[in-house]
Amino acid sequence: MTDRVLTFIDEKPAEPGKRTDEVLVGISPAFADFFSQTITGMSHADVVRQILAGIEEQEVSARIVRIRHSSDLAVVAHTAAKLSGSGIAIGLLSRGTTMIHQRDLPRLSSLELFPQSPLMTLETYRQVGSNAAQYAKGESPEPVPTLNDQMARPRWQAKAALLHLKETEQIVKGAKPVEVVPQFAEALAN
Amino acid sequence: MPQTVVGVDIGNSTTEASAATIGSDGSVQFLGAALAPTTGVKGTPRNVDGVADVVERALRTAGVAVGDLDVVLLNEATPVISGMAMETITETIITESTMIGHDPRTPGGRGLGVGTTVGFGALAETPAAEPVIVVVPRGVDFEVAAGEINAATRRGVAVAAAILGNDDAVLVVNRLDGAIPVIDEVSRIDAVPLGMLAAVEVAGPGQSIRTLSNAYGLATIFELDAAATRVVSPVARALTGNRSAVVVRTPAGDVADRTIPAGSLELKGENRRATVDVSRGAVEIMAAVERVSPLADVSGEAGTNTGGMIANVRQSMADLSEHAVADVHIKDLLAVDTFVPQEVRGGVAGEVALENAVALAAMVRTRDSGMQAVAAAVADRLRAGGAEDVEVIVGGVEAEMAVLGALTTPGTDKPLVVLDLGGGSTDAALIEIDGSIDAVHLAGAGDLVTKLIDAELGLDNLELAEDIKRCPLGKAESFFHVRLENGTVQFFEKPLPATAFARVVTLDGHSMNPIPGRHSMERIRTVRRTAKERIFVVNALRSLRTVAPGGDLRQIGFVVLLGGCALDFEIPQLIADALAPYGIVCGTGNIRGTEGPRNAVASGLVASYAGRSAGVLVGGSG
Repeated sequence: MTDRVLTFIDEKPAEPGKRTDEVLVGISPAFADFFSQTITGMSHADVVRQILAGIEEQEVSARIVRIRHSSDLAVVAHTAAKLSGSGIAIGLLSRGTTMIHQRDLPRLSSLELFPQSPLMTLETYRQVGSNAAQYAKGESPEPVPTLNDQMARPRWQAKAALLHLKETEQIVKGAKPVEVVPQFAEALAN
Repeated sequence: MPQTVVGVDIGNSTTEASAATIGSDGSVQFLGAALAPTTGVKGTPRNVDGVADVVERALRTAGVAVGDLDVVLLNEATPVISGMAMETITETIITESTMIGHDPRTPGGRGLGVGTTVGFGALAETPAAEPVIVVVPRGVDFEVAAGEINAATRRGVAVAAAILGNDDAVLVVNRLDGAIPVIDEVSRIDAVPLGMLAAVEVAGPGQSIRTLSNAYGLATIFELDAAATRVVSPVARALTGNRSAVVVRTPAGDVADRTIPAGSLELKGENRRATVDVSRGAVEIMAAVERVSPLADVSGEAGTNTGGMIANVRQSMADLSEHAVADVHIKDLLAVDTFVPQEVRGGVAGEVALENAVALAAMVRTRDSGMQAVAAAVADRLRAGGAEDVEVIVGGVEAEMAVLGALTTPGTDKPLVVLDLGGGSTDAALIEIDGSIDAVHLAGAGDLVTKLIDAELGLDNLELAEDIKRCPLGKAESFFHVRLENGTVQFFEKPLPATAFARVVTLDGHSMNPIPGRHSMERIRTVRRTAKERIFVVNALRSLRTVAPGGDLRQIGFVVLLGGCALDFEIPQLIADALAPYGIVCGTGNIRGTEGPRNAVASGLVASYAGRSAGVLVGGSG
């Protein structure tokens, strides 16, 4: 069994996109960096790979930007949306919480929000990518069904809080978003 | 001495009232009007609540005290109620998983690939001989799938095409050395027969397949003789219009377009009888109805779906009117061809086919209405409420009152036909130059339109279907603009709600309701307009032919549209367009020049009462 490893290369300042057929994926400061997996232990490499696959299947292009000045999902997603040529972006936190945002929306709103990170699966991430790409094309996708588990809160809240604190520690004040290129490698599992 | 009167029209869904004073010379002065939802079934004592409510409100808008009320006039409601039912009459069956025609949103590659189907696991051992089509189950990652296909191709295996379980077609094709057609999202991929000759075709975006949807194309690929080509021709037809498809040649594979034996309707006319098979469709049913008209009753063939459908209508009508089932007679029938999206039996990818269906609306004449009982109950209630000297009179037949009311519309004259477009029935009444009145009640109206929209779009949500019926459509293309169905754009200052973004929405003037599903705006609009045409335009012509002198529509000068559906944004235009060739002036009524298509019966009641009390015949005093 091999594990996939994700590294980001070719870091450069993020520019606003000119193509209307692109979706931006905004990742939080510690994503696939300080952290390498989500709250449930899903590899960040697999998460990003599925999101990009969902976008690619819709024949829409994708760019990844790292937001460094905030660990707030709304800020991450909205900042990316404002850089997106189509106005559509996916925001992604290290622990797995996700949303699809649009640049004209108020920051605290969203097109689709997946607030319970422990319930996310790779299939959900694939659908998130697919839906974001369909929004970019002006289509009307069915919103991805969101799960709600009453027990998720008591079970995961402490860990989520801790992960959030750690992520917040990785913030670089006033740092501008940077565009990165994902590079996947297979590594032997320990 | 002047009298204060209130005319009240109890309809199937709304109760309307007009308050007026009548001078001793018979002159009428209208003071106020009101409307409220009808309580209970029309013609039953439960109507009292609604009647008391509108009478009070009409008096309040008129500025008259309840104690000054002299007379309340009720309409003699036509004792008709309506019901409807729908039956699917065709079904598509695929045998031996011959065909995959489910049109995934994102197939991969382009062109036609022909080969023998082979399982993904066996691809590595496949010798480099005949071309193959690889069948990849769910759970195989797109990179693994692409890698194996590339490896096989390098070994010399001619992989002509691929069929995938996952939604991975574009991803796989993007990772292949050479492009092949790939179809994906085949949910029951394990049912695809292996070791059989098959063909996969994918067309470019916006195109549809050419070879597999052509019977001779299939014959060429599978080397079929004339007899076998005849057998596969339904397969070709089933794939018409798809962007992608798979056809597998199996020994007994077939696609059948079966007609479900739906049973027959027995139409008993007053003079003639006819039997018509429901599966022949609406046109033949309606021709038979016309042949035997006037209808006396309808029954369905026992033991068939049609029999059950008619029995259901009859039973629900009996329950509603509290009559014995034997007392319920179907006096009119409207059949409408429709189509219902249904999952194909035997399909491997959740294919949906539009199956033909027939919707029926039936009009039932019940025994006499219970209006006298309603009148007594209303009198008790109003006397208890302070109108001590009030008299409640059942003042006239509904259709006649509607005509008298309609004649108060500016610009009208006799001969005039009133078309009352309601929820359950379409009623027409003709007044000739000599004042004689003839009326007809037909099955099928607004409720059936809602039902058709619901069925044809597969919504399963009557409230949403009602919304689609009532309101124009738009598509929220951004948060600040909506593309309207006529192609123009409306901009907004404030961002639209997030739920409306990228969706087709109904615009009722205040809010936007998003319509779920993938239906395009054009398709929803077409379904909506054709549903209205199939019912209201058909019924308008049907009713006018019935009441027009000698059945000649040219003898009618004016048609005034009344009722809730006359307020619709397009039904009046659709009917006016259909009537224009006959030189008929057709439009939505404007009762007394102020009330629009509402309040015709209530106004007519008052006018008729005034005429009677003054001893003169009143035509159209406003």
